Amino acid sequence: MKQTVQTFMKTATVPVKMSLLLMGAGHFRYGSISKGLLYLFVELSMIYYLVQRGFNDIRGFFTLGTQRADAWAGIEGDNSVVMMLMGIFAFIVIAVFAFFYVQNIKGAYAMQKRAENNLPQKTLRQDLADLLDQKFYVLVLALPLIGVCVFNVLPIIFMILIAFTNYGGNIVPPELVDWVGVDNFRKLMVLSKFGPTFLKILGWNLLWALLSTTINYFAGLGLALLLNKECVKGKAIWRAFPILAYAIPGFITLLAFKFMFSYGGPINQMIISNGGTPFGFLGIDAKWSARLIGLLVNCWISVPSIMLLATGHLSNRDMSLYEAAKIDGAGRFAQFRKLTVPFMLFATMPVLLGQFIGNFNNFGIFYFLRGGMYMDGYFLASDTDLLINWLYNLSIDNNYYCIGAAISLVIFLITSVISLTVYVKSPSYREEDTFQ
Amino acid sequence: MKQKNGFKMLDTGVTYVLLIAVAFIFFFPCLWIILASLSKSGSIYSFDGFFPRSYSLATFKKLFTDTTMYNYPKWFLNTLMVATGSCILGTFLTILTAYTMSRFEFKARKPMMKITMVLGMFPSFMGMTAVYLLMTQFGLINHLWGLILIYAAGAPMGYLTQKGFFDTIPKAIDEAAKIDGATNLQIFTKINLPLAKPMIVYTALTSFTWPWSDFILPKLLLKEKNLYTVAVGLMSLDETEFARFAAGSVFIALPIVVLYFCLVRNMVNGIAAGAVKG
Repeated sequence: MKQTVQTFMKTATVPVKMSLLLMGAGHFRYGSISKGLLYLFVELSMIYYLVQRGFNDIRGFFTLGTQRADAWAGIEGDNSVVMMLMGIFAFIVIAVFAFFYVQNIKGAYAMQKRAENNLPQKTLRQDLADLLDQKFYVLVLALPLIGVCVFNVLPIIFMILIAFTNYGGNIVPPELVDWVGVDNFRKLMVLSKFGPTFLKILGWNLLWALLSTTINYFAGLGLALLLNKECVKGKAIWRAFPILAYAIPGFITLLAFKFMFSYGGPINQMIISNGGTPFGFLGIDAKWSARLIGLLVNCWISVPSIMLLATGHLSNRDMSLYEAAKIDGAGRFAQFRKLTVPFMLFATMPVLLGQFIGNFNNFGIFYFLRGGMYMDGYFLASDTDLLINWLYNLSIDNNYYCIGAAISLVIFLITSVISLTVYVKSPSYREEDTFQ
Repeated sequence: MKQKNGFKMLDTGVTYVLLIAVAFIFFFPCLWIILASLSKSGSIYSFDGFFPRSYSLATFKKLFTDTTMYNYPKWFLNTLMVATGSCILGTFLTILTAYTMSRFEFKARKPMMKITMVLGMFPSFMGMTAVYLLMTQFGLINHLWGLILIYAAGAPMGYLTQKGFFDTIPKAIDEAAKIDGATNLQIFTKINLPLAKPMIVYTALTSFTWPWSDFILPKLLLKEKNLYTVAVGLMSLDETEFARFAAGSVFIALPIVVLYFCLVRNMVNGIAAGAVKG
């Protein structure tokens, strides 16, 4: 890098060096007027943007507003949140400009080299034609990249930053938001209204992810093995039932099960007609019955997909191993434990991981089954809520944005640590190009 | 030998008992909803246990005619529009992204793949508040277009399945075409795109069903009852409107179920690549 800069300083001609200050100067010198004009236009519009609002936006990003709104005095105050958003936007604009700036110098320098070696210069038209050929990927990726940046990256950066402010609760515009460092994370860890709830929910969340993934996985595998047995006739018909369950949109299944277990639902009606008293399976006191129902309903939803997957992998097994095991006198359970499970675990590791993360962040299950319930001993949550449900309750229903953002970061930390450890070790990542 | 035969019979018997149990577990809730949609009275309280006392098609008729409180036809059209729009745009963007990531070597490729992996680990609606704020800034709250924009823009994030597919198409074909003087654009549109038809179908299906059954975004961005999608609308029905819920569910689940059964083979490949239903 340093070397390149040094040679550049020594060999570049004056117009090329001028490009450092006046973008496009080098291009003018070497006869590419249209490209030079384009670069000049980029620079001028950048200066215009910075003067017009860029500088203010960046300052606003750090101060998050200094002028409180005052309706009596007729002062339109600063909106801290919009200022932060615009600040991030300004940084993105600067990054894009930096890209063009570097391109400008590189381009000018390349033109100088071409001129010195008496090579013909590329015209703008050739550059455009390149977009359809050599640089096809630039053209193609531009649109998805912009979309992802605006609707995925920008919001995520914004929420990461929010986790370090006191935005939310009573402090929403027109009140001024401030940077508070790691205060929100401290609040989650120590005794405050958030701390105990956080620890209780985190414990249940981990237990839930572990239990549901294990149950679903082995139930799905068992079902696949069952359907794979030689004595089963009409496999396609038997398989159709789980696929039916798989195809129904999740929210319908969940709402239906909620109705089924509700106070007036059919199960309670049957209990009543047999002389029992109705039981609130998902009611406010039903801690473990609600959790159990959650596990079973999740099973109903996820088992078919695992079954389909396992069926595919089961047909790839090396059956001679089973023959050998049979000759050595291994029983069926021993075959399952020593051959089937290790093979399947190896083949489906990435999916298993995906299932674990998916279950850890399974928002739908308890949102539909017991949504919107707040309990004593929990702050704006219930005893079946997972972290992601709590996050929703806090940030979308109750405006505790900063705490919600902090929880998102904790969830991110947990899931990414787990997945990175597993994923980096899995063969499907290391041998990405096996098929090429 | 005789004992072994007996064991085999027993084994077969147990297998079939288990199969019937599984079929019952998966089929019964569906049957329950279908029958409930055909019930004469709407409330869940008037049912005899699991099943309605009398049957008629009145609920379906009511679903489409009685629209003052619950405008199901409108919800259905909204859902259809959002799902179709994001399906077309999303599929287009995803296929393009996957193809480029699979075929081109450029400096930013590996970093981009890593970044998308990291981004995918953030909780899905972590940025919802920010998206909401952005949409207010753009003036797209209470517009179906806003939803389509978000779904389509997010779609390329899930390009990995499709990239895996393009990875399996031999590069030698491309090189042969290049020698014959084809540009990269031509190689894409004339060679790889036709070969990727199954993958395009799969992508279209998933990017159609996701908005079709999503409820978080519409709930956040659509505040007017007339703009609800079916998922949000059905959520607002309570136990006294159970038959209406059931009928609405059957009507919206049916197209998806049919599609899945037709394309179940494509779906399996998709799951194998690690898609999670949620």
